[in-house]
Amino acid sequence: MVKLPSTPKHPQTAFSKSLAGIWEQGVSPENVTSLVHVTTIGSNQLLGQEGLELPRCAFVVTKGFRDILEIGRQNRPEVYNLFFERPRQLVPRRWRFEVRERVDAEGRILEKATEAELRALARKMLREQIECVAVCFLNSFVNARNEIRTKSVLGREGLDVQISSEVDPEFREYERASTTVVNVLLAPLFSRYLSEMEKSIRKAGITAPLEILTSAGGLVEASRVARRPIIAIESGPAAGVVGTAEVARILGLKKAISFDMGGTTAKAGTVVNGEVGMVSEIEVGGRSNRGRTVKGSGYPVRCPSVDLAEVSAGGGTIIGADPAEGVVVGPMSAGADPGPACYGRGGLSPTLTDANLLLGRLGDSLLGGSFRLDREAAEIALKEVGSKTGLSPLELAATALRIINVQMAKAIDLVTVERGLDPRDFALVAFGGAGPMHAAEVAEEVHVDNIVVPPVPGLFSALGMLMTGHRYDEVVPKVGLIEEMSDEIESSFLAMEEALIERIHLARGEKARVERSLDLRYYGQGYEINVKSPKPFKTETVLSLFRRMHMRTFGFLHKGKKVEVVALRLTVRTPNPNLDIGKISSPSGVGHSRERSCWFEGGPRNTPVHQRAALGKTPDLDGPAIVEEYDSTTVIPPNWQLHWVRSGCLILRRSRR
Amino acid sequence: MGEVRLPHPQEESSVSEDRIQVEVTKHSLVYISEEMAVLLRKSAFSPNIRERADHSCALLDAQGRTIGQAEQIPVHIGSLPLGLKNTLRYLEEHGVPQKKGDTYVVNDPYISGTHLNDVTLIGPVFRDSQIVGYVANKAHHVDVGGMVPGSISPDATELYQEGLIIAPVKLIDGGKLNKEVLALMKSDSRQPDFIEGDLRAQIAANRLGERRFLELVTKVGASRFPSVAESIMDHTEELTRHEFGKMPRGTWSGEDFLELGGGLLSIKASVSFTRNGVRVNFDGTARQVEAPLNAVLGVTIAAVSFAVKSLISSNVQLNDGFNRMINVVARPGLLVNPERPMPVAAGNLETSQRIVDVIFRALASALPDRVPAASHGSMNNLMMGGILPNTGESWAFYETIGGGSGARPNSDGVDGVQVNMTNTMNTPIEVMEHYYPLIFSEYSLRDGTGGQGRWRGGLGIRRSFTTKARVRVTILGERARIRPWGLNGGKEGENSSYRLKRADGKTLRLPSKCTTALEAGDSILIETAGGGGFGLRGLRNENARKRDGDYGYK
Repeated sequence: MVKLPSTPKHPQTAFSKSLAGIWEQGVSPENVTSLVHVTTIGSNQLLGQEGLELPRCAFVVTKGFRDILEIGRQNRPEVYNLFFERPRQLVPRRWRFEVRERVDAEGRILEKATEAELRALARKMLREQIECVAVCFLNSFVNARNEIRTKSVLGREGLDVQISSEVDPEFREYERASTTVVNVLLAPLFSRYLSEMEKSIRKAGITAPLEILTSAGGLVEASRVARRPIIAIESGPAAGVVGTAEVARILGLKKAISFDMGGTTAKAGTVVNGEVGMVSEIEVGGRSNRGRTVKGSGYPVRCPSVDLAEVSAGGGTIIGADPAEGVVVGPMSAGADPGPACYGRGGLSPTLTDANLLLGRLGDSLLGGSFRLDREAAEIALKEVGSKTGLSPLELAATALRIINVQMAKAIDLVTVERGLDPRDFALVAFGGAGPMHAAEVAEEVHVDNIVVPPVPGLFSALGMLMTGHRYDEVVPKVGLIEEMSDEIESSFLAMEEALIERIHLARGEKARVERSLDLRYYGQGYEINVKSPKPFKTETVLSLFRRMHMRTFGFLHKGKKVEVVALRLTVRTPNPNLDIGKISSPSGVGHSRERSCWFEGGPRNTPVHQRAALGKTPDLDGPAIVEEYDSTTVIPPNWQLHWVRSGCLILRRSRR
Repeated sequence: MGEVRLPHPQEESSVSEDRIQVEVTKHSLVYISEEMAVLLRKSAFSPNIRERADHSCALLDAQGRTIGQAEQIPVHIGSLPLGLKNTLRYLEEHGVPQKKGDTYVVNDPYISGTHLNDVTLIGPVFRDSQIVGYVANKAHHVDVGGMVPGSISPDATELYQEGLIIAPVKLIDGGKLNKEVLALMKSDSRQPDFIEGDLRAQIAANRLGERRFLELVTKVGASRFPSVAESIMDHTEELTRHEFGKMPRGTWSGEDFLELGGGLLSIKASVSFTRNGVRVNFDGTARQVEAPLNAVLGVTIAAVSFAVKSLISSNVQLNDGFNRMINVVARPGLLVNPERPMPVAAGNLETSQRIVDVIFRALASALPDRVPAASHGSMNNLMMGGILPNTGESWAFYETIGGGSGARPNSDGVDGVQVNMTNTMNTPIEVMEHYYPLIFSEYSLRDGTGGQGRWRGGLGIRRSFTTKARVRVTILGERARIRPWGLNGGKEGENSSYRLKRADGKTLRLPSKCTTALEAGDSILIETAGGGGFGLRGLRNENARKRDGDYGYK
């Protein structure tokens, strides 16, 4: 395994270096059968990271509506902040162009732009050296003809054009426009980046295809992402949930929560019967508040993505005090540099890592003994803040831990309870450097009794990338009352299937699973529920499923109300590769102590410390206990036990009291 | 390595456990109210709630004090505490015994504290036979009867014309829905489906809140919970006191105006901070009027709370500990504390916005680096309705339109945005055109309408549409004559304007408050105000000037 810092100005440089690192470990290029990549350059570019300038993008829209991108949903991201700002505009106002065209809600074309108007517009854009164009007309998801025509006229003049009815053919104009613009803006960067990467892997002698993990947690060919980068914006965090799904399958768990806690954030996702919990819209570059995306803080992008709730809770999260002696944990983070006070790199603020160290949950070194921690520095930092809160360093550390565990439990609630799922039925799969250290207490907050710690928890996300098959998603808008459309729905599904299968060229012998679903709601209701559909389509089956899900999510039904279809969705998936995770393990750590004093709710306990590599298959260890390994530490509180080790995973259980 | 010395279990002070409990409970209470609000929104029916999120939720302790509230719609947030206290007092005075599984519905503004459209549901949370607290939520129903579709009429001269008035009654009686009350509410609305759909969403939200509340109380311990709640509120009070301690001493006064007919209504306030709270005295404000601009006391308190909260640290939570530090002096009979049966529909929409302006204006010289110039100062309310041509059903619609925010001491105002007392979202045009007989022709920023200055005000919005059938439209706006003020030499923002364009092309200017009938082919054009500027234009820096050309400034 190789882990290197990124090189933002030339992202491919770090990639080439990491390949070199792998060859050093004795792998040869011709033995590489699969090459999967995830990247965050998409969100970095939108956030305005230095060295990644936005291309000159134009936005073409129905006359009268050029500012819909800037007005957004008209709300402000923070209610009580008089100094709030909108996210920076992706398309400057002078490059938002209006066209005399109009389609009404029923899809009738009321007005269409003349060829001359469009050609004049093209010339204007070329004079402005526009590199790419996003077109979004009102109601184009009902009738796309005006958009298609605009694309072809502008395209003939030499412009690179994408239209909203192709990128995101769903209703709500702002979200559609935003999705289209983000896709158009990222396309040049992604295609340049991916083609350079392709070149460098071929040069290195690798023949395996370059594949990208999407935000939906499936693999696609790099060429597809180059044209449709929105599908890969959040691919990094998706990898851990995908890995969780595979771990759940191997262990035979029906329901699993993925709990990923690293240096700055903690993320929660779900897997139910092998299916990863998904959302249809994310806000890229936005902030989240207590795990919930702050509407209006970023750029909405609609494409299927793994449902993740994220909170500012990681090893580097800073512990502070408010003026009235209250303890405040996060959202600020000391990051990796200067990092926690105990890293001895000049960090003065106490962090969760410092708290864990002082409480004896962390040993006095990390990375198998190669990285010493400075306990004194941690204590000084905690003492400083403690004096402002009237708490001793230990009390402060314990308080901070409890607060952050509640916040992380909230993230889990968001993806379970708020989706109508009962967390008590789930097992928690804990990873990330800090995940296994907090897992048990977080699990107790949400009443979960089983925890799985997969192999190499600190690098588990990378492992997740190798545990998934291909996935392709397609959506077609279809608005109307379900009862009046059943024939139409079936024929649309068939047409979608045919087109998609043809486009993706399944490799020989590759088996694909085709899944149909519909977005449904009661007529007049605001939120759609995604309901699976049998093949062939059956109105009654789908309706009864819809009612069941509505009842589960909202707790009631609207009897007698008609049900409206909004969109049809198709997902094609290929099976996951079989990765034997039982054979994977991290380098063994060097244990310094066989026992240490460790704080748990109710006070300190003498706690035995074990090395993971030395555990047998059925260790049956009662808590309190600590299991250390190269990249993580698992904390087993007094009322928990390490039940067994299966397929390389530690299985923790809460004892029934 | 040396062993860490940890305190022995016996040594461990119970203080620390309490502190942990308080912190954890404080967060949990906010989470619960947030979770309620999300459920309410997702399951609601009317676009007003599902698209615009015009609703808020709260948790109260057994004494009816607010202990947990998420940051939602400021006018709801600030008025809920008083409204809920009043409701509980009403139940007690009328000898209504509270049972497990009860939910009371109320919209009487003189009790629940905003206007008739805002329907509040409150229910006791029982543990065994004891009340441990209350869950409550407030949502804006699009139509509760009254003179016009959308219920908010600029022509109302008394409350009774503004729709169905509901004093606290049981909507759910011991777990059973009171169908008569529901039927009564539905029969008085132009949009009975929305009444029922949105009420069911409100009920579901309270049920969820009740369940979560009980879980929390059980976790904390029923006997311990009251003292934990007390500590949470005390902590907030202490934080607020600390913030107020940093405010300059003295009393500052401000005045601003509302537009009514050809005249103006003055709102005056004097503001002073002490360690015991902020005191805002409205002496000198205009008397109540026979027009819907009266702001019931709950609304006035909400506006004061918003203005104050946005001037202090963001760490202060919304609970009784903050609320008890807000002292409002408004004599009965004033525009800001009217007496029954004065009409009040626009009090929380327009008057609340102006109260914030007055307080900011008063404090501008005291807090020169914190107070922005005036924002567009209105919610630009648009109510409409009629009969759907395809189904023959009646419909009603409500929305508010943003404008320019005031320039800040260190930055330009924001263009086309909701300010101060509201933060609802817009209704997507494609949603409106799908459900209603309307077609939109414009939704854009008004070039150059923010007041100029070292920092310019935000731009107003232009929104216009044409009807495809007969529609009755009500407009309730502001700042058509008195422009949003600038500060420190910054210029005023452009005023708002409201126009009607007949199908034959004839255009007439509408007053900022009116109801009018449109035939198919007629259009409404609304232009909202820009924000005021801050500082002298001559001091505007190069970077800021570069953006000016794009936004209609020379």
